[in-house]
Amino acid sequence: MFIGAIGCEPLQLARVHLENSRSLEVYRRNGGYQAIKKVLASMSPEDVINEVKKSALRGRGGAGFPTGLKWSFVPKDSPKPKYVVCNADESEPGTFKDRYLMERDPHMLIEGMLIAAYALGAKVNYIYTRGEYRYLIDIMDQALAEARAAGLLGHRISGTEFSCEIYTHTGAGAYICGEETALLSSLEGMRGHPRMKPPFPAVSGLYASPTVVNNVETLTAVPDIIKLGGEAYQKLGTEKSGGTKVWSVSGHVNRPGVYELPMGYDDMEKFIMEDCGGIAAGRQLKAVIPGGSSVYIMPANSIIGKDVRMDYEGLVAGGSSVGSGGFIVMDETVDIFESTKNLTEFYKHESCGWCTPCREGTDWLVKIFKRIDSGGGRADDPQLMLDLCDNIEGKSFCPLGDAAAWPIQSAVKRFPEDFAKHLQVNDDTDLEGN
Amino acid sequence: MSTEVIKVTINNKDIQVPKGARLIEVCRDNGFDIPSFCYYSDLALQASCRMCLVRIDKMPKLQTSCTIACTDGMVVQTQTEEIEKAQRAMVEFLLANHPLDCPVCDRGGECELQEMAFDWGGLEERFTEKKNYHAEKYLSPMVANDPQRCILCKRCTRVCDEWMGEDAIEAGGRGANTVIGTYGGWLDCSQCGNCIEVCPTGTLLDGTYRHQTRPWELAQTVSTCTYCSDGCQMSLGSRGGELMRIVARDRYVNGLNGEFLCIKGRFGHPFVNHEARLRTPMIRHQKGGKLIPATWDEAIKHIATKLDDVADRQGRNAVGVIGSPRLTNEALYVLKKFATELVGTENYSVTDSVNLKPFFSNLSAPLATHRDIRHAKTILLIGGEPEELQPLTGKQIRQAVRNGGAKLIIFNSVPIRLREQATQFLHLRPGTEAAAILALASDADDALAAGKLGLEAAELETARATISGTVGDLVIMFAGDIGAAAQIVLAQLAHSLKADDRRVLFHPLPLYNNSVGAIDMGMHDGSMNVAEMLDACGKEIRALYVAGSFLPEQLQGRENSLAQLDFVVVQELFETDTTSFADVVLPAASFAEVDGTFTNNDGFVQRVRQSIPPVNQSQADWMITDALARELGLEFGFGLAASAVFNEIAETLPAYAGLRYPVIKDESQPVQVKHQLAAAKDISTEHAALRKEVEQIDETSQKVFGTPRVGHELFKIRTLTDKVAQFHLLAGGNPRPESVNISPLYQITVG
Amino acid sequence: MSRQLTKIQPLSQPVQMPEAAATFSPEVEAEIDAHLAKYPVARSAILPLMFIVQRERGYLDPAGILYLAHKLALRVTDIWEVATFYSMIQTEPVGKYHIQICKTLSCKILGEPEITRHVCNKLGIKPGETTADGRFTVSMVECLGSCGTAPMFQINFDYHENLTPEKVDHILDSLA
Ligand SMILES: Cc1cc2nc3c(=O)[nH]c(=O)nc-3n(C[C@H](O)[C@H](O)[C@H](O)COP(=O)(O)O)c2cc1C
Ligand code: SF4
Ligand code: FES
Repeated sequence: MFIGAIGCEPLQLARVHLENSRSLEVYRRNGGYQAIKKVLASMSPEDVINEVKKSALRGRGGAGFPTGLKWSFVPKDSPKPKYVVCNADESEPGTFKDRYLMERDPHMLIEGMLIAAYALGAKVNYIYTRGEYRYLIDIMDQALAEARAAGLLGHRISGTEFSCEIYTHTGAGAYICGEETALLSSLEGMRGHPRMKPPFPAVSGLYASPTVVNNVETLTAVPDIIKLGGEAYQKLGTEKSGGTKVWSVSGHVNRPGVYELPMGYDDMEKFIMEDCGGIAAGRQLKAVIPGGSSVYIMPANSIIGKDVRMDYEGLVAGGSSVGSGGFIVMDETVDIFESTKNLTEFYKHESCGWCTPCREGTDWLVKIFKRIDSGGGRADDPQLMLDLCDNIEGKSFCPLGDAAAWPIQSAVKRFPEDFAKHLQVNDDTDLEGN
Repeated sequence: MSTEVIKVTINNKDIQVPKGARLIEVCRDNGFDIPSFCYYSDLALQASCRMCLVRIDKMPKLQTSCTIACTDGMVVQTQTEEIEKAQRAMVEFLLANHPLDCPVCDRGGECELQEMAFDWGGLEERFTEKKNYHAEKYLSPMVANDPQRCILCKRCTRVCDEWMGEDAIEAGGRGANTVIGTYGGWLDCSQCGNCIEVCPTGTLLDGTYRHQTRPWELAQTVSTCTYCSDGCQMSLGSRGGELMRIVARDRYVNGLNGEFLCIKGRFGHPFVNHEARLRTPMIRHQKGGKLIPATWDEAIKHIATKLDDVADRQGRNAVGVIGSPRLTNEALYVLKKFATELVGTENYSVTDSVNLKPFFSNLSAPLATHRDIRHAKTILLIGGEPEELQPLTGKQIRQAVRNGGAKLIIFNSVPIRLREQATQFLHLRPGTEAAAILALASDADDALAAGKLGLEAAELETARATISGTVGDLVIMFAGDIGAAAQIVLAQLAHSLKADDRRVLFHPLPLYNNSVGAIDMGMHDGSMNVAEMLDACGKEIRALYVAGSFLPEQLQGRENSLAQLDFVVVQELFETDTTSFADVVLPAASFAEVDGTFTNNDGFVQRVRQSIPPVNQSQADWMITDALARELGLEFGFGLAASAVFNEIAETLPAYAGLRYPVIKDESQPVQVKHQLAAAKDISTEHAALRKEVEQIDETSQKVFGTPRVGHELFKIRTLTDKVAQFHLLAGGNPRPESVNISPLYQITVG
Repeated sequence: MSRQLTKIQPLSQPVQMPEAAATFSPEVEAEIDAHLAKYPVARSAILPLMFIVQRERGYLDPAGILYLAHKLALRVTDIWEVATFYSMIQTEPVGKYHIQICKTLSCKILGEPEITRHVCNKLGIKPGETTADGRFTVSMVECLGSCGTAPMFQINFDYHENLTPEKVDHILDSLA
């Protein structure tokens, strides 16, 4: 599997190939913990937040919310403790970049969290890692222990006034816990149900205290922003999407892997055909899901020859979105009905069950997919599916419902022939389905 | 909510509302119907059913009106095509996995989902797949469960947690596999059944009423509970002279308790039609002989002769009259009138466990209503265990603390469960409540009080500081057997504790449905209390007329007292320890069979309404007394109308002045009787007496540890609860039966 | 129909006693305490503690649930509601080696069906089942974050990626 930067100097992936890259020593020898040193020596919390604002860093967890702005929502005068929580739940199908960032360069995440904690006045912070990534929790625990031993974590860091702790926490198998409020419920030891917003976590999050939840990649970008300066970092990308973005590439390409690209990388076709080594076994590209399972599927004809720019605006223009950057490439052998059924099963399995449309809608949709699959399809099923998706979209409690609807909506509309061929000509199906 | 008034526009109509008002309520108050399942007033917001969607200008998506607090200038649409489609869609989703067999469901006919489907559902059924299946089962002797019908609104889990503080029922599983239940599938809780009540569908069902009748066959009668002093309003469902079930569902009744009831109120009614109910009057012609059925005429004549005889030969005071705090005001009033005006005896009393007359005679502030408790800022609870003995008060306290941020100070010798909600728990030595009252009255005796209470003086200081820091309502509650001096000092506390920004309210916690009425009716005004009267049996007292029975505790150590009497008449529902000494036993009608009133611990006088005709040959207690009076030559003139008795009560007792049945007919607007407030007076004598009493408290008693088990009072087998099979299972520890698929009663009826 | 029962016999069954709670070695207790120390609220440690109980006892058994309820001052139903939400928490026994095959899109299109067939044939069980000797359980799970190295499965906590039938043989044989 390939890991590296294309079209830019590696920032996030700068150290991944070094021997012993997880060790404190290697991290330090390669510019590590310089940013926090600079912050502690010469910057106020406001300075840090301003720098992050200038960097045009947008959250890498999927929603793309401007990070500096999010940080500025935390009330300065709140008497409550504040928390920075790193979202390492990474469960979006097709996404695995956070895993490699943590596996190869855990101290980069620690340093990013320290800077965030300093900016927000947080004393205790957590890394919420999906339960399946147990080995990463061990790696992080070890890195944290090293940092603690070196005085980079804990009481009066590097002899300054700043004290800060970071702990790891484990999830236990629930995609919904990647949603920030569900994550907080889970971190409080509850079922992982999302919570009502407002209040937003920045005001009332973990233990009803001001909390910032950020994706791993968002936090690992922070040391470089401090080192390069916000403006310089922004210039690596585009005006509205600063810096670089790490993509997880999987599926039918010759070179799957973790790719760091500048925001605004031109263009997607080149990326697939050249950077990723083209489609495996000489087959034709059929479709790409560029941002993890929760985004619109793009047919090859909306990519080939279309100069799709790889950043937030470019992908929206191309009919999809960046999401979590889980880039799934599918060749001509893939039946989009099948792939959509697969993803719908995922959403049904992962629906937390809180709200009606998502819980019942995904259950119903899976039943329709299965009925069609076993030969009971009807001519109006695609229409029914679209209508059900419309009844979920925008009405669910949290965005998981939308995320379940979008793949189906885009697949039914963009690949009608793949659905049509599964539908019986004869509409005389047994009512029990299945 | 603030007092600032703002403008919102709903469906083009401008409406003034307090800032922050909840949009769904504002819409409904203004005639715009908003469907909802999960929203429930005064419970934590859930926003999961997605039924209440509305469109708000400048917001990207449809919004759940249950979560929206109104802001100035908000423009809302509630009736557009888009909204209607969304709402129809939600009903369609909810019905997808829901069995469409309403005719076999106990909730059919009063199911919110069924009604919503009629109002909002689509005609076409598009869901043609297999429904997810879960087997029906029992969760406890009281609660049956049909999980397939669940729409996961989680009202049940919220009332269990927020109202009851029990958190016994939860959601398990995830996504479409989510079910409501418990670990092990068995409900270990106080069995209040509120989860059943608030369930909008047939998921949680009354296990004692399963498959008995269809709801529309039941005649619904609004009445007042016959168990504790909280006075919950309820709807009695009867069919063909049989009381089938009791609910507090808001479609039938809207009392001070909302949809809340406790296990006794909801499930404790099968005594009404129980086969052990007395059937006819009975006469024991000879001491030691059998009770032989008699006609009413015979029995009344027999009693009249005997009572006349005793009074003639031994004097009027040799006839004692005893009432029960379970009887209606009407029954107690006629009984007292019988004792004082007809017999002319000074010896009458009521079988309550405590006598709060000294407190009521010195009241310095009004009684707190349950609504006042919910909105109180500080609650002081001395003794008692409301969660077991006055469960509605328990719920109000809990909600005041949890939803309203009230401070709760508990003085108790037992670490009761409500302690979990307390801001401060003062753990007393048993029997030292008087010392707590002394400490509240002034800080002069702190050293003495603290020593007796087994507390640090600083703890008393803290409690007083919380009280004096209260802005808003301070509610003082107390329970237990507190001496007269302590009661008077307590009753006068409002004079010293009130302030310009602080109102003081009292909430006494007697045990019975009409304990307060019994005080008002003057049943405590006789010259002896119950114990003294029992001790006088065979001495000053030669004959007793008892309406009700003595409490087992009252007869304890006095087992032979009643045998000393020449003549005993007992009016009862069942044979009891007391009837075993009776020379004449008269079958009395239960609360479900009579008209009348009870006065609760809020001072609300509330209607008791006849739901079924008297069972067997029983008669209303007041009518029996009335007939006896007539036989003895005094015509009270009430005819057959309880209302006539009540009218006389209203004319005689100043606190009830002006009241008539029509005035108190609306249970949603209960009327508080006007207990006379005593002016501030010199209570130094009582204070000194109280100090003296405290000085005499034994300091060696050991503190009690260990939180009492849920249900230790609620599940107790007493005369009435004894008649409910399920209570025996609960009193036996509520074991999980081997099979939960059939009624848990199989354990005591089979094998 | 009268609902009144003719005879109410007092209950002969004794009050159901809770089963005894699990106990752990001082080392495990220390590990548990270390987790508890990380949070201002004990309940936060519920998932880490569940994993420890699972590791020590094979799955989250009734005694383990009772232990957690005591340790965290919660009701058993609170433990149940959380345990049943998370797919990695096992409230039923699982095999010593829990083979969790990722079935989500990237793995699916890169050969998961073949791997699943191979694993199941080799062990003679279907997904969701445990071998008779209690050594292996096969489960189908959702995306495990190995899409770039698909197809894959996880055995207990170990990732096995870029699987081929031969590789599967090798892995399973080394465990057998
Ligand atoms: C269903 C769902 C799943 C999500 N999963 C993840 C995830 O696994 N990792 C993540 O970082 N963000 C995830 N998010 C996004 C988070 O809610 C949140 O936006 C993010 O953690 C914020 O961090 P950022 O601003 O750094 O992106 C998910 C959101 C939803 C609605
Ligand atoms: S959309 Fe609703 S059911 Fe789905 S995950 Fe979010 S809250 Fe849960
Ligand atoms: S009432 Fe608003 S979502 Fe249920």
